[in-house]
Formats: sequence, C-alpha cells, structure tokens
Amino acid sequence: MVNPQFFIVGAGPAGLCAGIAAAEQGVSVLIVDEGFMPGGQLPKQTHKFFGHKGFFASVRGFDIAHQLVERAEKAGVEIRLETSVAGIYEDCIALWDRKKDHVWESKPERILIATGASERFIPFENNLLVGIYGAGAVQTLMNQYGVLPGKDFLIVGSGNIGLIVGYQLVQAGARVKAIVDIASKIGGYEVHSRKIERLGIPILLNHTIVKAIGKQKVRGAVIAPVNDQWKPITSESRELFVDSICLAVGLQPSVELAAQSGSAIEYIPALGGYIPVRDPQMRTTIPTVFVAGDISSIEEASTAMMEGFIAGFQVAQDLTGTDMQAKMSNMRDELTALRRGPFSSKVREGLGHFGIHFPSGGYRTETQTETGPFDTMKALIECPQCIPCNPCETSCPTKAIEVGGNLNGIPWVNYEACTGCGICAMICPGLAIFMVQKKGDKAVIGIPYELLPLPEKEDVVFVQDRKGQVLGEATVIRVMKNEKEKTHLVFIEVPIEWADTVRSVQVPEQKKNDYICRCEEVTVEEIERAIDMGYTDYEELRRYLRIGMGPCGGRVCRAQTLQILSSKLEIPIAELEPGTFRAPSIPLPFRAIRRGETDE
Amino acid sequence: MDTRLKEHPILDEWGGENLSFWFEGKHLIGHAGDSIAAALIANGIDSFGQTEKGTPRGIFCAIGKCSACMVEVDGVPNVRACLTPLQEGMRVSSQAGKGKPIW
Repeated sequence: MVNPQFFIVGAGPAGLCAGIAAAEQGVSVLIVDEGFMPGGQLPKQTHKFFGHKGFFASVRGFDIAHQLVERAEKAGVEIRLETSVAGIYEDCIALWDRKKDHVWESKPERILIATGASERFIPFENNLLVGIYGAGAVQTLMNQYGVLPGKDFLIVGSGNIGLIVGYQLVQAGARVKAIVDIASKIGGYEVHSRKIERLGIPILLNHTIVKAIGKQKVRGAVIAPVNDQWKPITSESRELFVDSICLAVGLQPSVELAAQSGSAIEYIPALGGYIPVRDPQMRTTIPTVFVAGDISSIEEASTAMMEGFIAGFQVAQDLTGTDMQAKMSNMRDELTALRRGPFSSKVREGLGHFGIHFPSGGYRTETQTETGPFDTMKALIECPQCIPCNPCETSCPTKAIEVGGNLNGIPWVNYEACTGCGICAMICPGLAIFMVQKKGDKAVIGIPYELLPLPEKEDVVFVQDRKGQVLGEATVIRVMKNEKEKTHLVFIEVPIEWADTVRSVQVPEQKKNDYICRCEEVTVEEIERAIDMGYTDYEELRRYLRIGMGPCGGRVCRAQTLQILSSKLEIPIAELEPGTFRAPSIPLPFRAIRRGETDE
Repeated sequence: MDTRLKEHPILDEWGGENLSFWFEGKHLIGHAGDSIAAALIANGIDSFGQTEKGTPRGIFCAIGKCSACMVEVDGVPNVRACLTPLQEGMRVSSQAGKGKPIW
C-alpha cells in the first residue's frame, strides 16, 4: 500500500493505537517505522505499567507491544519497518526503504506524526567519552537485545527513566554506584525510588556530574554537591569507579517532520520543548496532519496510547463520516483520569497554552495511619504519592482496598476484609505492597521480589531496611512463585522489632567465597572484575586490590593471579610481567633488624 | 569479552541462531535479531568509530535519533548500527566522521 488513506509515522504506542482506531472503522492504514521491531520503546519496558486494568495496568511494556501489534494487524493495518521518512514535502511524503535502498513517495489523505522523543545530552567535562549513554540506550541494549554495555554504572537524573533503568540494571546483573540529581527532590515516583533505595543504591540529591574520567572510554566519574545556584562545590567532589554513565536528564520531542508538514510549532518548556500546536482531537494547524504521543507532550506510553486512539477516531470520522464522538469522549475521560494527579501539573499547564484544559484533584491525598492489626497475615501498602494507578483495588478478591476518589488517590486497606492472600502485592506495579503478620516475638514479612536468584524455602538471606542497610539474616519460610507475571513474594521470619523496618531481602553471593589471596582476602571475582575494568598488569592489580601485598609476599597468589590474567587476556603466562619480587620475602620483624649486627 | 546476559528475572531469552560477521577484519559472532550495534557491544566493542576530529565515538541513543553509531557496512558508509539488523556475512568497519568518500 503506497497511498493509504491514513499514513502514520512511528509504530510506537501512539502510532499503533491510532492505526487500530482508524483501521477498525475501515480506513486503510499504513504505519512506517525506522526500526526493525514494531512497538517503539515498549519492547524495552520490562516493568509493569501503572494505570487501571482496562488500560494495561500491571502489564509489562513488551507484552503491551505484542498485544497492540497483534490487534493492529488483525484490523488490517500494514506496518512497514526499516522505512525512514526523509521528509514531508508540500506534495508528498518522501520515504526511504532501507532494505531495498530506494526512495518512494506517498500521498495519503491524513497523516499522523508519532515520532516520539529523543534523549537530552548535557555538557560536562569529557562527556563525549565512549561509555556515556542515554539511559534509554542502555535500556534498549539490555532489555531488547540482552547485552549489557558495562558493569558499574552512574546514573544522572532521578526522574522515572533514571530510576527505572537503575532498577533494571540491577535486574540484569549490573551494579549501580549512585543516582545523582541536581534538583533537591527526586523527580520520579517514590515507589520507584524506594525500590532503588531498598537495594542500597544511594540517590544523591543536590549533586551533579562534574566530569567523566578516562581517555579511550569511561573509567570513572567525578560528582559533586551543588550550591544554591546549581554550581558544583568542587572542594567536595569525589570520584566514583564506574565504566558507564547513563544520562537520564529528560527527553525532547522529535518535532522535525511536523514542522516540515507546515504545522505551527511553539516552544512550551512545560511540555518538553518545541511542540506542534494542536487541538483536543490531536489535529495540528494543518487540518490533515495530526500528532500524538511524546511529540505532543513528554509523558508516558499510556497517555501516548490514549492520544493515538483519539487521533485515530478523529481521522476515521473525517474519512468515513461515522460519528466517533462517544469513543473519543471515552478516551478523553481516560486521559483526564491519568492527568488529574500532581505529576501531571506541568502537562496541564503546558496544554493550557493551546486552550486545552484538564481538571485536577478529586482524589484522596492522605496516607492511612491506622493499619492492622496484623495478628493474621495482612497487606501493608507503602504507596505515599498520588499516582494514577489502581490494580491493588481492582485485583483484591474481597474488595478490601480502595484508592480514594479516583485513580490518583492513595490506597487504604480495610483490615477487616483483607484476608492476606497476597494478590495485591504480586500485582502492584510499584512493588509497594508488603505482607505482614506479627505473632509473639516474631514477625513474618512478605516481600515482592523481581531479582535473581530467587531464594527458596529455608534459605538464609540478608534482610535490609528501606535504605538497603543490612540488618542481619533471616530464614525464608515460604516463596509464592509467580512464573507468569514474574513478581514473586518471598516470606521471611524476623524478630518482631524488625517488623516495621525489614523491606528487602538479598541472597548472599555464592562466588564471593572463591579466594585467591589468603592474606588480603581477594576473590576470583574481584580479580576478574578489576581486569575487566582495565587493570591488565600484575603490578596494577597489586596496587588496586592489594593482592600479593600481604605477609606471604605473593607465594600463594601470584601464579594464580597470573593464570587468571592470562586466560582473560588470552596471553600466555610466559609473556606476562610477573611483577616485582620485593624484599623482605618473609614477615621480618623490625626488632630483628634493629638488633642486627654487621661484620664490624 | 562476552557481554550478553545469561539469565534475567523477567525476560526469557533473546535472539536466534548464531550469525557470522566481521568488524575491522575481525571475525565475530552475533545473534539473529541483533542490531549491528547490539552485536558489536555483545562482543565487547563499544567504540564504533571516530568523530571528524579523531575522538573515539560510541553510541548514545540506540534508537536512531543521534547518528553517533554510524559505521560502514559492506563498503557503504553512514549506516546507523542501531537501526540495522545484523545479517550473516556482513563486513562492518568503523568510520571517521561522515566516512571516507568513495571517489
């Protein structure tokens, strides 16, 4: 199909939903996308979405992509991948089919531009170094392709993307040294930041990155606190040992094609930068051109889908004459529900510039202070902010949970009705619901768990508080496995005084006890990691790890260390520098030297 | 250095059969379903080329927006490694700046 009625640029959530909406009304739809996988940024979203059950709440992003693509194809939408829009001209859209390497033209009746957004890049010393990525790039590589571009990460920015990518890096087996944010408060949802903090990852507010260290690639980063003018206080700067830096400092709408189409563009910082002017139906100032998704305001995939549906319904109404008002109004109600909360205040303000108004409020803002009793197992919800999400309410089989007012309200538990079944804790996208039972001097805590390895019953694990501080050990008494949705519940028994503090478990690492160096207690893993970080010489390893610097003088560990170096670098031991054999080669007491005598 | 994930708490598996390709004349193995960028990073290669001024250049956005991942594929310069699926036998080279002119 070269000349569809409805031409859509971008097979992400907005484009797919617009295509579905129009194609299900009989409109011919072609969606083109530059990538070779449909779904836009959904395939890399491994977390469960917020929202409500009717709109993909608690479904993981990659599953949403599958469902949308399936529905679009069923409706007859054609999706052409590896196809780039070179430009939108006065008389046609010029496209480049990258598989065939040829250019073709399309002349549709309606166009939707759903090109999304790109990641912001910020200046700091050495910021061109290899190993500095947009946070979304790292998310794409690890979740969509299963490759991890580094081992030790610094994340700049504590918005939802920074927080989510931080957590997902840990899920993929990487280490996150810190998340820094120049602002004085966390930008993203508190349920996300709490997940990060429970892992013991520091979120350093009023901090910024000053420079990246390294010549060929990142070897570290210098961070510093900032003063009230947001200038770094260099006297308090410090170095972090990282091999990768993720910039999660915001997105900017990809507005180029909309501008080429002749649609008016305005600079509206509250919406993310340059934004096409549009009406509530997503129609730009050119009546045949529409926009939806991040191009029209930097938000999230749920709002992108709703905007896509609205645009698609309007296009269907334009082209078929069918009255779509009821469907549009339903979708507008969905958007209204998502945009009522405090996190949407900027979007509401920005859309006001176009004369589009969304109401706010109408939800409960108080957290529940009276909880329990916990004489039997009960749910304890730690979700203190007004975010648009209610799967806890709709999943509860006894209707014991209510988010007050609308989607954005803070959930409260009716403890008489709660049976302690744990369904809410497994379904909560924010991993913010814990199961608690107090009996005598013990308490049982059920913790949502999405990491590897999953502990088994009777395993001994470390237990941590809300900031990731290890309080001690505890025994796992039960694991509720959820093979399908992948959020498991791990129940541990702890002393009663920890009942209100334990919120995380950590499985002790097995390899940690694989020692090479007896004197300084250096493990195989530590040596391998140091080699990966670029310490590729015995002397360097010695200085970095203290391996061989203990009283044995390297007799125990030198050969083994060289063996690890040799196999990692694929260089025969004979060709490696063995390092200095420094005297004294035994623990010679200073006393004996002092008492020493010479020939004279 | 293999940087491919071996296990994951949420995702089951990635990619398909092994594909042979070359980077700077070195024979490497990627997976069907990889982008060229993913296959290079899976092989521990994170610098894909140089800027016009000779600074090593890595990828920044991985979704086709920043053009920092441009490589030469089978003699054709300016191919965005993040948007191009890996294919059996591809010969990939790094490029400096916008690539060398072919004339």
